[in-house]
Amino acid sequence: MITVDVTLYGDIAHFAGGSHVASQDVNLTEKATVGDLLQKLGLSPDDRGYLFINAVLHDAPGLYASKDAALDDGDHIGIFSTTHMWPYQYRDGIHMSDQLQKAMKKHGSMQNVYGRTDK
Amino acid sequence: MSRKILRINMSDQSAVYEDIPEKWSKWAGRGLTSAIVLDEVEPTCHPLGPNNKLVIAPGWVSGTPAAPSSGRTSFGGKSPLTGTIKESNSGGLSSKKIAKLGLAAIILEGEPQDGEWYQLAITKDGVEFKDASDLAGKGMYEVDEILWDQYPNKPAVIGIGPVGEKKLSNAGISVNDPEGKPGRYAGRGGLGAVMGARGVKAIVVDDEGGPGVDIADEDLLKQGRTKLRDAIMEHDLTKPDGGLNTYGTNVLMNIINEAGGLPTRNFSAGQFEGAADISGERVAEMVEKRGGEGMTGHGCHPGCIIQCSNIYPDEEGEAVVSVVEYETAWALGANCGIDDLDYVAEMTYQCNDLGLDTIEAGNTIAIAMEGGQIEFGDKEAALALFDEIREMSPLGRIYGQGVEATAKAFGVHRVPTVKGQSMPAYEPRAIKGIGVTYATSPMGADHTAGYTIAPEIAGVGGKVDPLDEEGKSDLSLTFQAATAFVDSTGYCLFIAFPILDISSGWEGMAESVAGVTGLDITGDDVIDIGKEILRMEREFNKKAGFTAQDDRPPEFMRYEKLPPHNEVWSVSDEELDQVYAWTNGK
Repeated sequence: MITVDVTLYGDIAHFAGGSHVASQDVNLTEKATVGDLLQKLGLSPDDRGYLFINAVLHDAPGLYASKDAALDDGDHIGIFSTTHMWPYQYRDGIHMSDQLQKAMKKHGSMQNVYGRTDK
Repeated sequence: MSRKILRINMSDQSAVYEDIPEKWSKWAGRGLTSAIVLDEVEPTCHPLGPNNKLVIAPGWVSGTPAAPSSGRTSFGGKSPLTGTIKESNSGGLSSKKIAKLGLAAIILEGEPQDGEWYQLAITKDGVEFKDASDLAGKGMYEVDEILWDQYPNKPAVIGIGPVGEKKLSNAGISVNDPEGKPGRYAGRGGLGAVMGARGVKAIVVDDEGGPGVDIADEDLLKQGRTKLRDAIMEHDLTKPDGGLNTYGTNVLMNIINEAGGLPTRNFSAGQFEGAADISGERVAEMVEKRGGEGMTGHGCHPGCIIQCSNIYPDEEGEAVVSVVEYETAWALGANCGIDDLDYVAEMTYQCNDLGLDTIEAGNTIAIAMEGGQIEFGDKEAALALFDEIREMSPLGRIYGQGVEATAKAFGVHRVPTVKGQSMPAYEPRAIKGIGVTYATSPMGADHTAGYTIAPEIAGVGGKVDPLDEEGKSDLSLTFQAATAFVDSTGYCLFIAFPILDISSGWEGMAESVAGVTGLDITGDDVIDIGKEILRMEREFNKKAGFTAQDDRPPEFMRYEKLPPHNEVWSVSDEELDQVYAWTNGK
């Protein structure tokens, strides 16, 4: 078993017992993924925006590049609601997972929102 | 009626209405302030001397019916903080009222020979010069209240606090908000000191009976503003109950912190353990819990449909200050190691009242902490620093000069400035793209200088892949040019989010400008027009003595690793020089 530290931001904080921001430890099986974590939290991927693992961006609103990302004991995961913004100029050059880079190359790396607007 | 230039000379208290000359006729907002400053201000002049000027200009669409979120006023001059040309813009009540008086710009020049303080009232009938000795020394909350008592039409009040009166380099210019309080600031670059050097404590603008704004093509304006409005209302970030409306700009605090890019304790780390406690999410919780006058989703100027401001309440629900926004909460919070929103709000009130830019003020406190004057995280001592400024003690005057002066006073070498202006809330070692903009902007380190517009929407030739390491200079230039254009429209820069993702919004912005002005502008022209503005600004700076060596991030970022990613600044000088190579014919 592994334990990860999860912080939820925005209206999804109620999944961890808060209103706008809340943290909790979550126990998962060895080799658990982000997909497993969301399932355990009861959080639909559609309600999830930006997602970080240990200060590395793994996902963005409207994408789901982090689903198979493996988690380790002691990891910190920050998950934001879909209302959270992060304009491109304030994330240009930050650390991103390879999977997210691939997804962004496909969908347009500078978009603020994926999947709902014309591109 | 064509737009007029109102030239106010404080040397003899004269006011003259001039026809706008052909060379300036196409400009408004930032484009106009920069054009006038380039033409009329000697680049080598002392910023506080008689040869500097303060230029005030609403945007192209300001004052037109129902143009959404178009209440920005540009202020321009030579900056006492940076020595460069400066444009700093603000929300509040002034933009529409100046525009509705038929004015393209107000040029404030000269200095009173009697050394007295003046208050100006600008109405449809002209300019009234009044003795302001009763306002001198007063904070902006009291000044705004007194002037609304004097003038029943709830006019715009443009004013300076005690810091501007003393001509200190971190003096901002306040514009009152719809509640008649300060909090909307053309904060950056010390233009409040330039206003103070003109002997003007406050300018009242009442547009009652004014001629309004001429509109060249009503149908095109209507078409443009409808497209833009639809984009703003549709986009997840700007729509009602979207990110900005729900949490304000402070929606970014936790995101930037999670990314490891939140400057902490004077740029010594990229994550702050108390970030959540000063974030927009926490502000929302406080507003819900305390109720009363507290609110999120507050509009900073009439007609704003994004409404990203807030009113922060105390424990009894009484308003403490508006607005606790991201840069402010970061500067006075994370960057000082302070995780208490009540103290952040109280310090923000002090900044608004004294007339200080919150970003520079927070960075200055962090430098005092770095220099050992007080401890990081000591919120009581941080708040007490504002007493020094209010008392204008020798130390308070140093704090009022901003980061570089304070760093010299305390022997600090970790100084997060470019061209004399301190950095906002994004660490360039973690967020390298913005570092290129910080380094090369004509304004000094400025987070609003490079707002994102996708090259494919902006109609820029060539393919730029933002995920490649190469090409950061092209992107930064595109962003800087787009921002220079938006800063000239009167629109709030936050329209950049929807017009990035929704191309009809981008077209609508350009069409609304074309509809008001009659200029032949489409979305494809925006970047080129923005570059014209940048070229003027760079020309001023070059004449003032700035070179490529000034387009650099601070030295310590090249050798101090930033946790948690432990990276240094790695973009080459050659890449930085590419951003403005085109102004040198390269």
